Amino acid sequence: MKNPFRLPRRASLSRPWRWLVPLLLVLLFLAVLLWLPWQARQMEANERQEQLIADTLWVEQTLRFELARSEEALSVLGADLLVKPPAPEQLQARLDQMFKNGHELRRVLWLGSDGTTLAHHGLELPPGGLASVGAEAMEMARLTRAGRYTEPYGASAHAPGMIDYYLPLFRRGEYAGALVASYSLKVLLDETVPWWFAQDNALALLDRDDERVAARADGGPGRGVYTHRRALDLPGSSIVLATDSVKGSPRLLPNLLVGSVIVLALGLLISLMSLWRHISRTLAAESALRQQMAFRTAMENSLLTGLRARDLEGRVTYVNKAFCQIVGLPAEELLGKKPPMPYWAPEATLDYEERFAKILAGTVTPQFETVFQRADGVRVPVLVFEAPLVDSRGEQTGWMSSILDITDRKKAEELNRQQQEKLEASARLATMGEISSMLAHELNQPLAAISSYTAGALNVLERADKGVPIEPNLLRRALEQARQQAQRAGQIIKSVHEFVKKSEPQREEVAIKSVVDGVRALVELQARKSWVTLQFALPPALPTVLADRLMLEQVLLNLTRNGIEAMAELPPERRILRIAAGFDAAQVSVSVIDNGHGIPPDVAERLFSPFFSTKAEGMGMGLSICRTAIEFHGGTLTHAPNPGGGTVFTFSLPRRDVAAAASATGAPELK
Amino acid sequence: MLHIVDDEEVIRDALAWLAQSRGLAARGYAGGQAFLDSVGEPDLEGDCVLLDVRMPDMNGVAVFDQLIGRGLLPRLPVIFLTGHGDVPMAVDSLKRGAFDFFEKPFNDNQLMDRVDQALAASRAAAVSDQVRMRLATLSAREREVLDLILAGKMNKVVADELGISMRTVEVHRAHIFDKMQVKTAVELAGLLK
Repeated sequence: MKNPFRLPRRASLSRPWRWLVPLLLVLLFLAVLLWLPWQARQMEANERQEQLIADTLWVEQTLRFELARSEEALSVLGADLLVKPPAPEQLQARLDQMFKNGHELRRVLWLGSDGTTLAHHGLELPPGGLASVGAEAMEMARLTRAGRYTEPYGASAHAPGMIDYYLPLFRRGEYAGALVASYSLKVLLDETVPWWFAQDNALALLDRDDERVAARADGGPGRGVYTHRRALDLPGSSIVLATDSVKGSPRLLPNLLVGSVIVLALGLLISLMSLWRHISRTLAAESALRQQMAFRTAMENSLLTGLRARDLEGRVTYVNKAFCQIVGLPAEELLGKKPPMPYWAPEATLDYEERFAKILAGTVTPQFETVFQRADGVRVPVLVFEAPLVDSRGEQTGWMSSILDITDRKKAEELNRQQQEKLEASARLATMGEISSMLAHELNQPLAAISSYTAGALNVLERADKGVPIEPNLLRRALEQARQQAQRAGQIIKSVHEFVKKSEPQREEVAIKSVVDGVRALVELQARKSWVTLQFALPPALPTVLADRLMLEQVLLNLTRNGIEAMAELPPERRILRIAAGFDAAQVSVSVIDNGHGIPPDVAERLFSPFFSTKAEGMGMGLSICRTAIEFHGGTLTHAPNPGGGTVFTFSLPRRDVAAAASATGAPELK
Repeated sequence: MLHIVDDEEVIRDALAWLAQSRGLAARGYAGGQAFLDSVGEPDLEGDCVLLDVRMPDMNGVAVFDQLIGRGLLPRLPVIFLTGHGDVPMAVDSLKRGAFDFFEKPFNDNQLMDRVDQALAASRAAAVSDQVRMRLATLSAREREVLDLILAGKMNKVVADELGISMRTVEVHRAHIFDKMQVKTAVELAGLLK
């Protein structure tokens, strides 16, 4: 059957590929992402290193330049001293000037060729004289006739180191002394190196043993990541400038871009994972749903109960196999249909429409019996259960009905009822037969005996005529016996009369409506079986009658049955049986009106005579008994043709109030 | 003798009275078994049975079957008295040799007329039985003589035809008359016709 809840078929073949490709892409992406920051870091490190080298070179140049400027000034001073020694005051002033130009210059000595101090400016000499390294430097300077630096000295944990410059002075080739300048390396660094460089880098000057002789670290100690060494390349000195960037190695995620890309990648991964989980959950749910659907479909198809779903407008949205079988139509012809439905039986259309109007109004009869017309015209009695159809949000979307084919049940009921009726009828007949047979036998004996006694007596008298003497005793005995037997017969008849009297009708006050209600179920059953529509027209204020309720019910049943049977030849929609009641001043009347074949005149003459029947299996007792029963109640049973075709049977009974009044005034009571 | 077999005493009594009123001897039996126990060889006076079909202990048909079984039938005619609706049974009984049947209620004197006829038939049957018995006592030569006498032949002719003496024929003739219990040839012919 067509299933609106069908799930799309899953393409299971492409399943491995579907996961492999995005997975590979993601792995590649991650690899690139990991490689990219590493590469970036590498590049940044290189760049910084190069920057540091360049800066270090620049600083070295600056230092060299500063010292070279100082050398220049000293050599000019030395030349002047050799030519014409200035006055000591002039010398001091000139040195002052030099000290102002370069703060790193801490002391200047003028030594004569014999090593005596000719002039002194700046720091006092330490008690031990010039540094021991100075003698070697001075010797070398005199030998090479060129200025020469000493190794740095005097550096300690608390004091920065110093460096001396020996400038030999020669006068016409003759050694004429030397100028010794002492520089504070610390000041040299502080004064010469620009602040921005010092801020970023820790600077240090190292001697040949790599001992630190001066240092500057405005931005804190270096990290030891980016370092560079550069010899100052001073003659006689192996001082080295070491720079150490305060910057650490570049972080793994140095920039926002890479970071955000990684974050995004992680997000992608996470969302992919969650998508994956979601999809696998969906797949599991779908598989469970599919299984559930298969289960439900199998269940629906195996059901004998018809299922039908309708939306709120009454349109059929779903039918199962059993329903299609019940109405004999394929599902395609039912789905989407709105009333009138193809399976509506014409005679019950009013019922359907009434119920359908109720459905549109939103109320529904939860359970009812009705009739569907199968495609081949056969009527199928069904039991329908209706329940609201509610969607996942709890809103009603329609109605779900389950339909039970109760043909077999109805058949069984009907069969049962018919058998019951037959049984009762035959039981009645058997009783009647038994009674009459017993009665006949009981009466036969005394009558036969009487007959024999009297015949014998006559024989005796006959023989007496021929001269045979009469024996009076014998004759008396025979006649006595005959009398006794006649009395016995009378006794039997009396007892039968007593028996019959016991089952005499019981009269009581009866409302016609209650009589009609009493047989209604039976009549409806019969009517439904024959597709006859029943109409009742009972005025609300019917007077009561004095009658035996059972007899009246019997009469009514007989008349309705006749009416229903009379319409068997009509098309079902014309089979209408009306039961109407009315009353006048004296009587209450009940009419049973059919649209059937009517009663031909020759039949009408004999209609009420016993043992007359137009039916093959009729006993011919029905109408005769009915008439007797009604006349027994002082009423009449008549019939007349129905103007619209068919027959009207009417029985009239005296109103109870009228009958009571009549008996009260002494009128003969109806018996 | 009329035998009345009926479970109803009143009926027995009434029928007995009816028979008596016509000069017939009658005897009543309350049931089939009582009748079968007492009934014997019918005599030449003639017998007849009025048999009620419906009886409580043993019904009429069963009694009838017993009578057939004892070979009493032609000499003991049976008239059935049936109730309403026993007609097929009665017809069947007639085919098997019942004398008649009467459906209750019956006309009493018609019944008695049939009883008279039945008694006559019974008597006739009894007589023919006795003749057969007497014939059986004759010797072969006596049968030959008897046949010739019945053919109206004189003694002389008989003697000639049989090749015996007149005297011998006369002795045979005397024996035959003696054994057949007749006095004249006419009587003999009447007996054997």
